[in-house]
Amino acid sequence: MSTVESIPTAPAKTEGFSEKGGVFWYSDSGLNVRDVARSMNAVGARFITATTYELPGNGAFRLEYHWDLMGRLLGFNFPLAENTIESIYDLCEAADWIEREIHEEYRIDFTGREYEPLLLREGNVCGVNLQKEVVQ
Amino acid sequence: MSYEIPMGPYHPGLEEPYKLNMICEGETVKDARLHIGFNFRGIEHLAETRNYIQVIALMERVCGICSFIHTLTLCQAIEKLTGLNPPPRAQYIRVVLGELERLHSHVLWAGIAAKLMGFKTMFMTCFEIREKVMDVLQAISGNRVNYAMNRIGGVNRDIEDPQSILGMVEALEKEMTRTIIPIFTTSKTATSRCADIGVLTTEKARSLGVVGPVARASGVGQDLRKDAPYAAYAEMDFTVPVVPDGDVRARLLVRALEIMESCKILRQALTTMPAGEIAPPGDGSKFSFITGTATARVEAPRGEVMYSVSWKENARTPSRVHVRTPTYVNMPSVRFMVQGARLADTPLIQASVDPCYSCTDR
Repeated sequence: MSTVESIPTAPAKTEGFSEKGGVFWYSDSGLNVRDVARSMNAVGARFITATTYELPGNGAFRLEYHWDLMGRLLGFNFPLAENTIESIYDLCEAADWIEREIHEEYRIDFTGREYEPLLLREGNVCGVNLQKEVVQ
Repeated sequence: MSYEIPMGPYHPGLEEPYKLNMICEGETVKDARLHIGFNFRGIEHLAETRNYIQVIALMERVCGICSFIHTLTLCQAIEKLTGLNPPPRAQYIRVVLGELERLHSHVLWAGIAAKLMGFKTMFMTCFEIREKVMDVLQAISGNRVNYAMNRIGGVNRDIEDPQSILGMVEALEKEMTRTIIPIFTTSKTATSRCADIGVLTTEKARSLGVVGPVARASGVGQDLRKDAPYAAYAEMDFTVPVVPDGDVRARLLVRALEIMESCKILRQALTTMPAGEIAPPGDGSKFSFITGTATARVEAPRGEVMYSVSWKENARTPSRVHVRTPTYVNMPSVRFMVQGARLADTPLIQASVDPCYSCTDR
């Protein structure tokens, strides 16, 4: 069974998911974010947000994506390679502002999309507001 | 020939600073671009430097209107990391405060909407009632804006005489039933000004992931108080008003009906409030964090608020606090609401989202 097929079609079916800290986390670490977005669209889940975590030491990041499926909070974890991840904006319109904000705050690049002028700041400097180790 | 008209960042129609650049042809808005960030305070970053007591006080200041909701969501997330369960009475007090804050927020919004409709008498009436809601909040918490009610594992103050609070709420309900509700549900002055403008279709509302009264006024019946009950909401009997039209009138109607439902919840919570502690007794107030991330969601007056909190065992401060506010997801819909609208309607259309930029910018 592919990862896409194993994502639950109803809240009662939660194979592959385990509850922790109020979130049903999907345990497969080899997920592709666009596959997940397509699956979530297919089951009618609502995109909530993505949260950035800066990993200690090496300045790398991981992203947690959250969807709501009939009151259940589903979570997917994505470690980032070279601070880059594919954009899901074309699949999930609701992800637009959070992708722009993460790009501006942490200098993470969402590939496959164009950015409008900065959401939070004028000018052209990214990654200075929330990133712990600022590289100019 | 098209031309661009900026509304904001400082404009009489805006409660707080943001900018809406509208591309117009004649008096018709063809498209719009939104600019936020004028209230950016770096609160998420600041939270990483605050201990578990200080961080509650800090997050209470994300927003001046739904300050209780922010600390409630934060505390619920932290309670998952500490294993503390608030006592039943504390859960009821959280419901009471949450609904009073909804009343406060909706009545404030109604006043601003009335002003933008050119209905200034109604503005004064709404703000008079809002003062009385704040009197009730003050009677419970001692404060009118930032209530300092939530703590990890419970609440800080008891409602010692629920019957006196119930009396205040019933007086408020009577006054709102006489003034705000008929004006916003049946009066032609208000409804004809708002009908068929700023339409957000059900399909677009789902696509944008909008929340709260904006979603419910576009036919999307989501409400965390029903879908994923927290505090004592599972024990409350209430309905979630949903209107399919998607225009400003629908948003007006949904909020007016929600005011009545909030009064219904308040009556239930105040009459059935169980006796007992309001926080873990004795040494129960001592706790330690487990390493990990926890997430909590609450239905704020404007829609879903979500907090993700990450903490390491024995750490004095959180390693991450992420806040997703309702206005953050509702605001992008304004671009689609104003497309095709008359320029004169745009202040009212953007206000119908009940935007909060302190929340959005953090």
